[in-house]
Amino acid sequence: MTSLTRRAFLKSSVAASAAATVGLPVSKAVLAQAKTAEAGWAWDKAVCRFCGTGCGIQVATAGGKIVATKGDPAAPVNRGLNCIKGYFNGKILYGADRLTQPLMRMKDGKFDKKGPFVPVSWQAAFDEMERQFRKAYAEKGPAGVAIIGSGQYTIQEGYVAAKLMKAGFRSNNIDPNARHCMASAVAAFLQVFGIDEPANVYDDIELADSVVLWGANMAEAHPILWSRITDRRLAAKSTKVVNITTYRNMSSDLADLEIVIAPSGDLAVQNYLARELLARNAVNWDFVKKHCIFATGPTDIGYGMRPTSKFAYDAEKDIQAKELENTLDEAEAIGQRRKAGEKVAQKSRASAGAHWQITLEEFKRGLEPYTLDYAAKVAKGDPDEPMEAFKAKLVALADLYADMKRNTMSFWTMGFNQHQRGVWVNEQNYMIHLLLGKHGTPGNGAFSLTGQPSACGTAREVGTFAHRLPADMVVNNPKHREITEKGWKLPPKTLNPKPGSDIMGILRDLEDGGVKFLWVQVTNPFQSSPNANHWLKAAREMDNFIVVADCYPTLSGKVADLVLPAAMIYEKWGAYGNAERRTQMWRQQVEAPGEAKTDVWMMLEFAKRFRLADVWGEKPLPGLKDPAFPEGRLPDVLAAAKAMGYSPEQNLYEVLFATPENRKVAWPDPVAKGHGNATVKALGESWFVEKALFEEYAQFGRGHHHDLAPFDLYFRDDVRGLRWPVVDGKETKYRFVEGQDPYVKAGEGFNFYGGAFKAIPTGTLDGVTDPKPVPLPGKAKIFFRPYAAPVEQPDKDYDLWLCTGRILEHWHTGSMTRRVPELNRAAPSAVLYMHPKDAEKRGLKRNDTAWIESRRGKIRMVVDTKGRNQMPRGSVFAAFFDESLLVNKLVLDAVDPISRETDFKKCAVRVTKA
Amino acid sequence: MGQGGERRKFLAHAVQGVAAAACGGVAWNALLVQQVHAVPFALRPPGALAERDFAAACVKCGACVVACPYGTLRLAPAATGIPLGTPHFVAREEPCRLCPDIPCAKACPTGALDREMKDINASRMGLAVIDAENCLSWNGLRCEVCYRVCPLSGKAITIDPHPRKLSKHAVFVPVVHSEACTGCGLCERACPTAVASVRIVQPSLVQGHVGEHFRMSWKPEAAPVEASPEPPPSAPKPAPAPPGKPGNAPGLDYFNSGSPP
Repeated sequence: MTSLTRRAFLKSSVAASAAATVGLPVSKAVLAQAKTAEAGWAWDKAVCRFCGTGCGIQVATAGGKIVATKGDPAAPVNRGLNCIKGYFNGKILYGADRLTQPLMRMKDGKFDKKGPFVPVSWQAAFDEMERQFRKAYAEKGPAGVAIIGSGQYTIQEGYVAAKLMKAGFRSNNIDPNARHCMASAVAAFLQVFGIDEPANVYDDIELADSVVLWGANMAEAHPILWSRITDRRLAAKSTKVVNITTYRNMSSDLADLEIVIAPSGDLAVQNYLARELLARNAVNWDFVKKHCIFATGPTDIGYGMRPTSKFAYDAEKDIQAKELENTLDEAEAIGQRRKAGEKVAQKSRASAGAHWQITLEEFKRGLEPYTLDYAAKVAKGDPDEPMEAFKAKLVALADLYADMKRNTMSFWTMGFNQHQRGVWVNEQNYMIHLLLGKHGTPGNGAFSLTGQPSACGTAREVGTFAHRLPADMVVNNPKHREITEKGWKLPPKTLNPKPGSDIMGILRDLEDGGVKFLWVQVTNPFQSSPNANHWLKAAREMDNFIVVADCYPTLSGKVADLVLPAAMIYEKWGAYGNAERRTQMWRQQVEAPGEAKTDVWMMLEFAKRFRLADVWGEKPLPGLKDPAFPEGRLPDVLAAAKAMGYSPEQNLYEVLFATPENRKVAWPDPVAKGHGNATVKALGESWFVEKALFEEYAQFGRGHHHDLAPFDLYFRDDVRGLRWPVVDGKETKYRFVEGQDPYVKAGEGFNFYGGAFKAIPTGTLDGVTDPKPVPLPGKAKIFFRPYAAPVEQPDKDYDLWLCTGRILEHWHTGSMTRRVPELNRAAPSAVLYMHPKDAEKRGLKRNDTAWIESRRGKIRMVVDTKGRNQMPRGSVFAAFFDESLLVNKLVLDAVDPISRETDFKKCAVRVTKA
Repeated sequence: MGQGGERRKFLAHAVQGVAAAACGGVAWNALLVQQVHAVPFALRPPGALAERDFAAACVKCGACVVACPYGTLRLAPAATGIPLGTPHFVAREEPCRLCPDIPCAKACPTGALDREMKDINASRMGLAVIDAENCLSWNGLRCEVCYRVCPLSGKAITIDPHPRKLSKHAVFVPVVHSEACTGCGLCERACPTAVASVRIVQPSLVQGHVGEHFRMSWKPEAAPVEASPEPPPSAPKPAPAPPGKPGNAPGLDYFNSGSPP
């Protein structure tokens, strides 16, 4: 097999450029020896730990250790391949400094916030956690405690965390790092389709004639999907790849058309495209009339910063002030049909997501200013590119989109999502695809890629957000609360109707004393969140208690008060859901080292320490205004609980998790095929926690467009994950399409059946004219969203754009990948990519050290003027994986006001020689 | 760069024994590993004379070692096969960072290193070769670390994607180009396989030579600078007949020997 592959490969290689490899025949003795050594290995299917692509792998274990991994040849996503991170899946567990014991700050034998970390028992760790939780809960109520979770949670972890917080502690202060990652995509899905997650699948890559990347450096961030796009480009000569980006990156290497835009220029370009489609009559009117309506929303929505300067450094105050009032620059004024210099009070900050139906004529009126001249002027990102050349590229892009014969896929990731107008810019892409009628069909669609392995499967589907409940339900919808309370067997009004703090909100709450207890799980927010100086200081200097559960020492652990050693991916049972709705599960393969435990076990043990009487009595909730609730309070539900058969003395473990139904799901289970279960073992129980909780969770989605298959089906030998909805054992490729999606009836063609925001007022571009909600069953919305200028832009003091992101070699903050010596050697530290002329102007050359300073902080980095990213003049890029130089000290913490997702892609800095 | 620079660049090529007619990519092969072990090859600092001349000119003063800001260079200890006390580096441990100001060469008191060298990218310390059998990228994994760490990426190492055939994925093949590779060793240092699948070796060990009688017309270096506008002024004379004995024209022996089959 190997030699055949190699020969086949060599044949296909560019023979002239490579001398043929001869290779010594491996001696039979060596082969036999290797076979004997591998005879005792047990292989089992699993999933890659890293990105949202969701590559299948096989894991070999022997003697209680992972001895090898391989890309799963049967996995349709990757067919045996991995990227360089995935290549090290087996090694990430075995870094030299794995955490194996709880560590707590202590002085004189007891907890002390100013003390050094000391190893403690789990008992002592939980005792202090409980004491601190009770203190915060008693003082501040449910709003005073918080969990920061993850798009890398297993489905079960996310479910336990969400249920414990929302049903148990009645707090909505749980938010995942996925907020930083794809919240804008979610909000756009909900506003446009009424339901989250993509309609298309990865198979569309092989059917596309045009592949357009919008703010997605797939070559590095989705490496194996990029292999598929590259193969498609090589195999079908007519395929065109477009890379729309703010700087030249590795995805440009393949691109037929590279368009370097200015930050937020995407808003102008997409409106130009829509205007062109209308002008050229390249609109699928039949589709639009049958299945779509037009909509818009307010523009004075702020930038998601604090409304007060109380906590701002002096240098931050000018930008912060724009949160309440902004002055329109020329580009923004034209794009919003207003006057340059106009001061706009940001009045719709609290209702940023409101939207209403408009007419086609109003929609066209909105697009009118977005001429080629205007779009090019706003969007041109490389000062050294001639304007005419840039305009020609925009026209070429319009030609590709307008060509009805071409199958067209648009992909995006963080360039769209981490955007002060991230929801708008997502919605604009649906605008284009819906106008074309090219969505959710083979080879055609607007596809939001996800960054994390289970941002979809867990963070979104389970609902570990401050406003969400399982299966796309939300806390501020009384009907959704009622459904969830029934499903969870809670007394009515147990669930808190007020959305909690999102991730930036939680960090700000730490700074202003609003949150006093924080539990961080499967993430490293103090490195990965912007404007880091504020939160690092708040963690250490405010009166609060921060728990970080992790597998390795991280910066977040360093500023915490208690560090809990966590089991890693293959040391527990789990499930992830990738970007194409593919749910994949794995068995526990090995045991965690030392006293490291699963996050599920930690939460269940913690739940045992709280009785219903502690949490279901009346609780203060400042700011709660809901007709069904007393003002500022969550009601006492203990009496109703008693009527349901609960005793106030029962603990949350018994009531929420080890329910009589769940206890019936017995461990051991034949599906385990002899594999262990660390959670069950540590609990000393005989119910299959991960299976029972998955099945309990899946009840919310089954029959409601989110059908997951039975737990055991995912473990069948011939299954490599299944794309939901899975109805009658059959997965769904295309959603909303007749003949594909079981929820679409015969004769409907398309049915955008999502239920959220499906009754909206009517109005014009300028506002609502008739507030009466009009129902829009089955329709998708084509939004007009205007250009909006970035709130912070380069000026004379801070004269460069800064963008941050990932690189191929490292995962997020590097807590796992930097423990792999080979990866660390391949990319030992983050560098500052800048244009050689920008460097020269500052007396810098490649490999020199420079200071990078923003209004928020200052760090030192080594300059690189070439390599993977080639910056246009005026822009610099630095990756965020490197703990030793915290790029996030520089980054602005503005968020999209609708999605509350952070904009990591644009702020202003200055660079000087160090 | 002036003519002098070009000449020096050319000399650097010639001195290091790199064929002027550069070949495209070079793939390493397992057979050569053994040969490399048999021939001690030291990676010398940039601008070093050819090995025999270098060993003669180097006074082992260590000035280059001191001048190296990265601690790359070291003096050879005994029993390594490398002449005792001469400066060299081990790419997998600490490669040459290609300082634009070349402090090591400047520090050389004897000229064993070319003190006049202006362009660090013209240095030829060795040549990177890739073991296609073990290279992750050649096998379809998305690695390409060598390409990204190469200070001359896009010139010394390029990525040449082609279809994998086994599935609908492309293979991103890294290819080394000897006309640009300095032999700095950053790729060998960074290669994530357990034993590096890209190594810096003696160019003569791996480089073939096409022959002067043929030009690969599709390669840029084979193209004439400009096409001849018209035929040469005088028609060429027929080639003179080779000298031979009278009455023994070429071919006679064959035609007259034996009988036809």
